[in-house]
Amino acid sequence: MKNQLSAFMDGELSIEESAHLITSAKTGGELKNCWAQYHIIGDALRGDVGLGGVNMHYDFTSRVMTALELEPTVLASKLAATPKFASQKTAYKTSTKLWSVAASVAAVMFVGVMVFQQQFSQPETLSPVEIAQSVPTEYLQAHQAAAPSSAAYYIQNASFAETKK
Amino acid sequence: MSLAIFRLASTLLLSVLSAQSFAADDAWLMLQKTAYAARELNYQGVFAYQNGKQTRSVQITHMNRDGQEMTRNLVLDASLQAKQPREVFSQGNDILIVSPKNESNNTSTVVIEKRRGQNLFPAMLPTDLQALKTSYTTRVLATEMVAGRGTQVIELIANDSYRYSYKIWADAEFGLLLKMTLLDSNKQTVEQIEFTQLSMLNSRDVNWFQPKIDVKKNYVTDISTPVSHVDTNWIVAELPTGYVKVDHVILNLPGKSTPVDQMIFSDGIASVSLFIEPISKAVRPKTGHMVIGSTNICANVTDGYQITVVGEVPAATVLQIAKAVTFKKQTASK
Repeated sequence: MKNQLSAFMDGELSIEESAHLITSAKTGGELKNCWAQYHIIGDALRGDVGLGGVNMHYDFTSRVMTALELEPTVLASKLAATPKFASQKTAYKTSTKLWSVAASVAAVMFVGVMVFQQQFSQPETLSPVEIAQSVPTEYLQAHQAAAPSSAAYYIQNASFAETKK
Repeated sequence: MSLAIFRLASTLLLSVLSAQSFAADDAWLMLQKTAYAARELNYQGVFAYQNGKQTRSVQITHMNRDGQEMTRNLVLDASLQAKQPREVFSQGNDILIVSPKNESNNTSTVVIEKRRGQNLFPAMLPTDLQALKTSYTTRVLATEMVAGRGTQVIELIANDSYRYSYKIWADAEFGLLLKMTLLDSNKQTVEQIEFTQLSMLNSRDVNWFQPKIDVKKNYVTDISTPVSHVDTNWIVAELPTGYVKVDHVILNLPGKSTPVDQMIFSDGIASVSLFIEPISKAVRPKTGHMVIGSTNICANVTDGYQITVVGEVPAATVLQIAKAVTFKKQTASK
């Protein structure tokens, strides 16, 4: 499914073949996330992302918003969401860009809702666990990547990778 | 008579004092030369790094061409045999890491990470040593051989228990840092890094400065840690002496559903990261303390937030920072 999604984004899939993809991207959480990720990766590879540590999510969202303003046909996404879509698909042959915008918005909103829910949920009363029970590699790596002086950072990354095998 | 003795004594004392302060200035000057040498010289060598039980060898090539620094670090480990070496390139303030994907044995994927500049070995000392002078004192020790070269040993002694002391072996001729150890308050070595081979480069050839690209492999850019600079309501009331906040970012860590606040504190050479994130439902909060070689890690829970402090500093430093975190209540007028 992810491969198909990738092919679709590259324009290698016909609109007939991609109808079911679009449907599941709209409903399925995983594919929806995939969609957003593929766009981000694509942007990064195309060099849209600077070397100096750019807030990608912010840029991503703002670019989507700009794209939305430039596309006055947002209402069409509502139409496309109806079950009649299959019979109307010819109307969208020329507007895959619209789809990309709509799906991006959906993905961003989905992530936004997740963040919102996380932040406002009451902290659970799960009892704390001793940190010594597992090495928090994600923090170690983030620290080593950001520390002004570091001997360890790329080296320890590698060795952690090794222990994970 | 007694006056004469007093005069003699005070003259002697003065000369001893000035000799001592001269020695201290001398040590700072040597360290200054060491800080610049790592950035300005052209060299190639192999260094070994040891922290706790982990050791690693890295081949380094460094060139400064008309003020533009270029470095390639090649990690000498199993990934070399797998024909996908782990390489770290830096040019100016940009760092690019090319490595095989580490979460599976899927060696057909290669991850490219982009990072901002850091002082990587042997450029461990900042070029501006002023900040260090408030937290450390220096001492010139004996001369020793490292990687077949004569070195001057200089000690950077911590003024308090919130940082390690550093022992630095500086090349007698060029000043380049050839070896460095971190010592805890019991003078035990907790981290060590040293050249095992070193030669100076004469060529201006930069053909080495490119990753080994295999067209059959799938290259992806790691986007797991985008960062932004932010203002925050989190305050660290009492930082350990000598530490200042040098950066504050928000980043997405792998496996975390919400972004994490990261603040970085430094005393000029030692640094500590403070991570703050809301405790999510499914995850058990962590508390306690652990140590890996020179790295101390401490976790705490404050107002429903997970606090994690990580640094190549003594336990007292991470514990104090974790304890000092508070959330500033937003005022209605704001």
